[in-house]
Amino acid sequence: MEERQYDLIFICRPDTPEPDIDKIISTLGHAAAEKGGKIEKTEKWGRKRMAYRVQRLREGYYVFMVMRSSHGEVVKELERRLKVSDAVIKYLTIRVDEELKRQEKLKRHREKRAARRPRKPAAPAAGGSEHAAAQP
Amino acid sequence: MADETPQAPAPHPPPTATGLGAPHAGAPQRSGPGGAPVQGGRSAGSPPRRGKRSFVRKKKVCRFCVEKSDYIDYKKAEILAPFLQERGKILPRRMTGTCARHQRWLTVAIKRAQNIALLPFAAEL
Repeated sequence: MEERQYDLIFICRPDTPEPDIDKIISTLGHAAAEKGGKIEKTEKWGRKRMAYRVQRLREGYYVFMVMRSSHGEVVKELERRLKVSDAVIKYLTIRVDEELKRQEKLKRHREKRAARRPRKPAAPAAGGSEHAAAQP
Repeated sequence: MADETPQAPAPHPPPTATGLGAPHAGAPQRSGPGGAPVQGGRSAGSPPRRGKRSFVRKKKVCRFCVEKSDYIDYKKAEILAPFLQERGKILPRRMTGTCARHQRWLTVAIKRAQNIALLPFAAEL
């Protein structure tokens, strides 16, 4: 099976100390590696106001990760760990590789069209001259 | 028209003697030189349009098409927020002018953002 890419976001309680968050991140990394996945990127967005209350909290500490793996076991394991963790109040895993592929494809298509474009403005000009010829 | 107007007064003067012709002669003369520009102005100018439509609707353009975006990122809540109503509903295409394809992507992005509490499902009371 080809490799898939996932976005992994989780929200910790805002009062979680920074070292604890780093610990969660590193354990997730280990767990992913164990199951054959790989965490490519980790971004700490920090404390943010949530759009609605989760477990009576209005704020949360957001952590965003990009993970690659070739089978779903990794996602299962990571989600299990996030669920068990007390500090984590919300998490979301999204498969993004297909959308990235689509984005790439559209981009290539656009570039190809842009390369071809110089011919395009000539067409309306030719039509205009035809009209001018037809009128008199 | 220029030929007609001088002709019109010429045949009319004889009937003026009867009395009835006098107002008739006056009327065509007025409509002849004055009427032609006025009528032209009515057909091509603003009055009929003012009657039918009071305003011209501005054409809405898909914002994402203008930006030529190939992907709508669910992580950027601030660009998704304008497509939500006050209460948190997703605005329809007819309100925002988004094209079908981008609206489809937008909906998915908004729903993802809602799931991770970047956007509200419904406004809080």
